[in-house]
Amino acid sequence: MTNLETLKRPDLPTVKLEFTQANSLKVSGTITSKEPDKSLGAFFRTVHDAAVSSRLPEVRVDLRGLTFVNSSAIRMFIDWAMWLANEQDHRYRLRVVTSPQVTWQRVSFSTLAHLAGEHLIIERTP
Amino acid sequence: MFSPGSSTLESTHSFLAAYTADRLPSAAAQKVSLAAYELLSNAMNYASLSSDVVLEIVQHADRTIVRTANDAIAARISMLREQIDRIRTDSEGAFVQELKRSMKGGHTRAMLGLARIAFEVGLKLDLDAAGQRVRVSAELRRDERR
Repeated sequence: MTNLETLKRPDLPTVKLEFTQANSLKVSGTITSKEPDKSLGAFFRTVHDAAVSSRLPEVRVDLRGLTFVNSSAIRMFIDWAMWLANEQDHRYRLRVVTSPQVTWQRVSFSTLAHLAGEHLIIERTP
Repeated sequence: MFSPGSSTLESTHSFLAAYTADRLPSAAAQKVSLAAYELLSNAMNYASLSSDVVLEIVQHADRTIVRTANDAIAARISMLREQIDRIRTDSEGAFVQELKRSMKGGHTRAMLGLARIAFEVGLKLDLDAAGQRVRVSAELRRDERR
Protein backbone atom coordinates (compact mmCIF):
# COMPACT_ATOMS: atom_id res chain seq x y z
CA MET A 1 0.00 0.00 0.00
CA THR A 2 1.38 3.39 -0.94
CA ASN A 3 1.45 6.36 1.31
CA LEU A 4 -1.37 8.03 -0.61
CA GLU A 5 -3.79 5.16 -0.26
CA THR A 6 -3.67 5.41 3.51
CA LEU A 7 -4.90 8.99 3.49
CA LYS A 8 -8.32 9.63 4.92
CA ARG A 9 -10.71 10.86 2.27
CA PRO A 10 -13.42 13.37 3.16
CA ASP A 11 -16.98 12.19 2.82
CA LEU A 12 -18.58 14.62 0.38
CA PRO A 13 -22.13 14.50 -0.96
CA THR A 14 -21.39 15.28 -4.61
CA VAL A 15 -17.75 14.24 -5.04
CA LYS A 16 -16.34 10.72 -5.13
CA LEU A 17 -12.65 10.21 -4.33
CA GLU A 18 -10.88 6.94 -5.10
CA PHE A 19 -7.28 5.80 -5.18
CA THR A 20 -7.41 3.63 -8.28
CA GLN A 21 -3.77 2.58 -8.50
CA ALA A 22 -0.45 3.56 -7.00
CA ASN A 23 -0.23 7.35 -6.68
CA SER A 24 -3.38 7.78 -8.70
CA LEU A 25 -6.44 9.65 -7.47
CA LYS A 26 -9.75 9.61 -9.29
CA VAL A 27 -12.15 12.50 -8.66
CA SER A 28 -15.70 12.29 -10.02
CA GLY A 29 -19.05 13.99 -9.55
CA THR A 30 -19.60 17.74 -9.27
CA ILE A 31 -18.18 20.50 -7.08
CA THR A 32 -20.81 23.11 -6.34
CA SER A 33 -20.23 24.02 -2.71
CA LYS A 34 -19.26 27.63 -2.00
CA GLU A 35 -16.13 26.76 -0.05
CA PRO A 36 -14.76 23.48 -1.38
CA ASP A 37 -11.28 24.35 -0.10
CA LYS A 38 -12.33 23.60 3.47
CA SER A 39 -12.87 19.89 2.81
CA LEU A 40 -11.64 18.91 -0.64
CA GLY A 41 -8.89 21.52 -0.77
CA ALA A 42 -7.62 20.36 2.60
CA PHE A 43 -7.60 16.78 1.30
CA PHE A 44 -5.65 17.83 -1.81
CA ARG A 45 -3.15 19.48 0.51
CA THR A 46 -2.65 16.25 2.45
CA VAL A 47 -2.12 14.42 -0.86
CA HIS A 48 0.47 17.02 -1.84
CA ASP A 49 2.23 16.81 1.53
CA ALA A 50 2.27 13.00 1.39
CA ALA A 51 3.65 13.05 -2.15
CA VAL A 52 6.44 15.38 -1.06
CA SER A 53 7.31 13.44 2.09
CA SER A 54 7.30 10.15 0.16
CA ARG A 55 9.34 11.76 -2.62
CA LEU A 56 6.95 10.44 -5.25
CA PRO A 57 8.04 11.14 -8.82
CA GLU A 58 4.48 11.67 -9.97
CA VAL A 59 0.89 12.00 -8.76
CA ARG A 60 -1.87 11.28 -11.25
CA VAL A 61 -5.26 12.91 -10.77
CA ASP A 62 -8.02 11.64 -13.04
CA LEU A 63 -10.73 14.29 -13.39
CA ARG A 64 -12.59 12.84 -16.36
CA GLY A 65 -15.63 12.03 -14.27
CA LEU A 66 -15.74 15.47 -12.68
CA THR A 67 -18.44 16.94 -14.87
CA PHE A 68 -18.92 20.33 -13.25
CA VAL A 69 -16.94 22.62 -10.96
CA ASN A 70 -17.59 26.16 -9.81
CA SER A 71 -15.07 28.99 -9.80
CA SER A 72 -14.04 28.26 -6.20
CA ALA A 73 -13.07 24.75 -7.25
CA ILE A 74 -10.94 26.08 -10.08
CA ARG A 75 -9.18 28.17 -7.48
CA MET A 76 -8.46 24.93 -5.59
CA PHE A 77 -6.65 23.44 -8.57
CA ILE A 78 -4.70 26.68 -8.94
CA ASP A 79 -3.70 26.34 -5.29
CA TRP A 80 -2.41 22.81 -5.90
CA ALA A 81 -0.34 23.98 -8.85
CA MET A 82 1.06 26.79 -6.69
CA TRP A 83 1.97 24.46 -3.80
CA LEU A 84 3.93 22.46 -6.31
CA ALA A 85 5.56 25.48 -7.90
CA ASN A 86 6.61 26.79 -4.48
CA GLU A 87 7.82 23.42 -3.15
CA GLN A 88 11.49 23.58 -2.15
CA ASP A 89 12.10 20.05 -0.86
CA HIS A 90 10.78 17.74 -3.55
CA ARG A 91 8.84 18.65 -6.64
CA TYR A 92 6.85 15.81 -8.17
CA ARG A 93 5.00 15.88 -11.49
CA LEU A 94 1.28 16.49 -11.19
CA ARG A 95 -0.35 14.68 -14.08
CA VAL A 96 -3.99 15.71 -14.51
CA VAL A 97 -6.08 13.48 -16.75
CA THR A 98 -8.87 15.43 -18.42
CA SER A 99 -11.61 14.64 -20.89
CA PRO A 100 -12.10 16.57 -24.13
CA GLN A 101 -15.81 15.81 -23.73
CA VAL A 102 -16.07 17.83 -20.53
CA THR A 103 -16.24 21.49 -21.51
CA TRP A 104 -14.80 23.12 -18.39
CA GLN A 105 -11.76 20.83 -18.41
CA ARG A 106 -10.94 21.48 -22.04
CA VAL A 107 -10.46 25.21 -21.63
CA SER A 108 -9.54 25.81 -18.00
CA PHE A 109 -6.77 23.26 -17.73
CA SER A 110 -5.15 24.26 -20.99
CA THR A 111 -4.88 27.81 -19.66
CA LEU A 112 -3.84 26.71 -16.20
CA ALA A 113 -1.11 24.42 -17.53
CA HIS A 114 0.24 27.28 -19.60
CA LEU A 115 0.50 29.44 -16.48
CA ALA A 116 1.67 26.80 -14.03
CA GLY A 117 4.80 25.58 -15.80
CA GLU A 118 6.48 22.26 -16.43
CA HIS A 119 5.43 20.36 -13.30
CA LEU A 120 1.76 20.36 -14.21
CA ILE A 121 1.10 17.97 -17.06
CA ILE A 122 -2.29 17.77 -18.71
CA GLU A 123 -3.24 14.49 -20.33
CA ARG A 124 -6.34 14.41 -22.50
CA THR A 125 -8.01 11.03 -22.70
CA PRO A 126 -11.60 10.47 -23.88
CA MET B 1 -37.21 32.58 -6.34
CA PHE B 2 -34.04 32.85 -4.21
CA SER B 3 -32.81 34.97 -1.35
CA PRO B 4 -29.31 36.43 -1.24
CA GLY B 5 -27.04 34.31 0.91
CA SER B 6 -29.34 31.31 0.86
CA SER B 7 -27.93 27.86 0.28
CA THR B 8 -30.07 26.94 -2.69
CA LEU B 9 -27.27 27.16 -5.24
CA GLU B 10 -26.20 23.52 -5.08
CA SER B 11 -29.69 22.07 -5.27
CA THR B 12 -30.60 24.48 -8.06
CA HIS B 13 -27.57 23.35 -10.00
CA SER B 14 -28.52 19.70 -9.58
CA PHE B 15 -32.02 20.42 -10.86
CA LEU B 16 -30.84 22.54 -13.80
CA ALA B 17 -28.13 20.08 -14.83
CA ALA B 18 -30.75 17.33 -15.07
CA TYR B 19 -33.26 19.65 -16.74
CA THR B 20 -30.88 20.89 -19.42
CA ALA B 21 -29.45 17.41 -20.01
CA ASP B 22 -32.97 16.28 -20.84
CA ARG B 23 -33.70 19.09 -23.27
CA LEU B 24 -30.43 20.09 -24.93
CA PRO B 25 -27.53 18.34 -26.64
CA SER B 26 -24.82 17.35 -24.12
CA ALA B 27 -22.37 20.17 -24.88
CA ALA B 28 -25.13 22.78 -24.86
CA ALA B 29 -26.49 21.44 -21.59
CA GLN B 30 -23.04 21.78 -19.97
CA LYS B 31 -22.70 25.35 -21.24
CA VAL B 32 -26.15 26.48 -20.13
CA SER B 33 -25.77 24.73 -16.80
CA LEU B 34 -22.44 26.43 -16.11
CA ALA B 35 -23.80 29.84 -17.12
CA ALA B 36 -26.85 29.38 -14.89
CA TYR B 37 -24.69 28.42 -11.91
CA GLU B 38 -22.22 31.27 -12.29
CA LEU B 39 -24.85 33.93 -13.01
CA LEU B 40 -26.93 32.83 -10.06
CA SER B 41 -23.91 32.65 -7.77
CA ASN B 42 -22.89 36.11 -8.89
CA ALA B 43 -26.39 37.55 -8.43
CA MET B 44 -26.71 36.07 -4.95
CA ASN B 45 -23.40 37.63 -3.99
CA TYR B 46 -24.06 41.18 -5.11
CA ALA B 47 -27.85 41.49 -4.81
CA SER B 48 -29.18 43.90 -2.22
CA LEU B 49 -30.24 42.09 0.94
CA SER B 50 -33.93 42.78 0.51
CA SER B 51 -33.93 41.81 -3.17
CA ASP B 52 -35.36 38.74 -4.77
CA VAL B 53 -33.10 36.97 -7.27
CA VAL B 54 -34.80 35.56 -10.34
CA LEU B 55 -33.19 33.05 -12.67
CA GLU B 56 -34.69 32.39 -16.08
CA ILE B 57 -33.74 30.00 -18.84
CA VAL B 58 -35.50 30.92 -22.05
CA GLN B 59 -35.38 28.69 -25.10
CA HIS B 60 -35.97 30.19 -28.54
CA ALA B 61 -35.74 28.37 -31.84
CA ASP B 62 -32.33 29.85 -32.60
CA ARG B 63 -30.89 30.49 -29.14
CA THR B 64 -31.05 29.78 -25.43
CA ILE B 65 -30.80 32.63 -22.92
CA VAL B 66 -29.88 32.32 -19.26
CA ARG B 67 -30.78 35.42 -17.27
CA THR B 68 -30.69 36.62 -13.67
CA ALA B 69 -32.50 39.67 -12.32
CA ASN B 70 -32.08 41.31 -8.93
CA ASP B 71 -31.74 44.66 -7.19
CA ALA B 72 -28.29 46.06 -6.46
CA ILE B 73 -26.77 49.36 -5.40
CA ALA B 74 -25.59 51.70 -8.15
CA ALA B 75 -21.89 51.19 -7.38
CA ARG B 76 -22.20 47.43 -7.81
CA ILE B 77 -24.13 47.77 -11.02
CA SER B 78 -21.47 50.11 -12.34
CA MET B 79 -18.68 47.68 -11.36
CA LEU B 80 -20.54 44.80 -12.94
CA ARG B 81 -21.00 46.77 -16.14
CA GLU B 82 -17.26 47.48 -16.28
CA GLN B 83 -16.44 43.81 -15.72
CA ILE B 84 -18.82 42.64 -18.41
CA ASP B 85 -17.55 45.25 -20.87
CA ARG B 86 -14.02 44.02 -20.24
CA ILE B 87 -14.98 40.40 -20.69
CA ARG B 88 -16.88 41.18 -23.90
CA THR B 89 -13.83 42.98 -25.27
CA ASP B 90 -11.35 40.20 -24.44
CA SER B 91 -12.81 37.13 -22.75
CA GLU B 92 -9.56 35.16 -22.84
CA GLY B 93 -7.58 38.06 -21.40
CA ALA B 94 -10.11 38.50 -18.59
CA PHE B 95 -10.07 34.77 -17.82
CA VAL B 96 -6.27 34.56 -17.76
CA GLN B 97 -6.03 37.68 -15.63
CA GLU B 98 -8.39 36.17 -13.06
CA LEU B 99 -6.40 32.93 -12.97
CA LYS B 100 -3.20 34.93 -12.47
CA ARG B 101 -4.84 36.93 -9.70
CA SER B 102 -5.74 33.67 -7.97
CA MET B 103 -2.19 32.37 -8.41
CA LYS B 104 -0.89 35.42 -6.59
CA GLY B 105 -3.17 34.61 -3.68
CA GLY B 106 -5.86 37.15 -4.46
CA HIS B 107 -9.49 36.47 -3.76
CA THR B 108 -11.55 34.85 -6.48
CA ARG B 109 -14.01 37.52 -7.37
CA ALA B 110 -17.21 37.38 -9.32
CA MET B 111 -15.18 38.11 -12.43
CA LEU B 112 -13.83 34.57 -12.77
CA GLY B 113 -17.33 33.13 -12.93
CA LEU B 114 -18.41 35.66 -15.54
CA ALA B 115 -15.20 35.18 -17.52
CA ARG B 116 -15.84 31.42 -17.52
CA ILE B 117 -19.24 31.99 -19.11
CA ALA B 118 -17.73 33.99 -21.96
CA PHE B 119 -14.39 32.26 -22.46
CA GLU B 120 -14.84 28.71 -21.23
CA VAL B 121 -18.27 28.03 -22.70
CA GLY B 122 -18.50 30.87 -25.23
CA LEU B 123 -21.79 32.49 -24.29
CA LYS B 124 -22.43 36.16 -25.01
CA LEU B 125 -22.84 38.23 -21.85
CA ASP B 126 -25.09 41.26 -21.60
CA LEU B 127 -26.22 43.62 -18.89
CA ASP B 128 -29.36 45.69 -18.71
CA ALA B 129 -30.12 48.00 -15.78
CA ALA B 130 -33.12 50.14 -14.90
CA GLY B 131 -32.85 51.95 -11.60
CA GLN B 132 -31.79 49.42 -8.96
CA ARG B 133 -32.87 46.45 -11.04
CA VAL B 134 -30.11 44.72 -12.96
CA ARG B 135 -30.46 41.87 -15.43
CA VAL B 136 -27.44 39.91 -16.60
CA SER B 137 -27.88 37.48 -19.45
CA ALA B 138 -25.80 34.88 -21.25
CA GLU B 139 -26.85 33.84 -24.72
CA LEU B 140 -26.07 30.60 -26.49
CA ARG B 141 -26.86 30.59 -30.18
CA ARG B 142 -28.14 27.43 -31.79
CA ASP B 143 -25.12 27.13 -34.08
CA GLU B 144 -22.80 27.27 -31.04
CA ARG B 145 -24.52 24.49 -29.12
CA ARG B 146 -22.03 21.76 -30.02
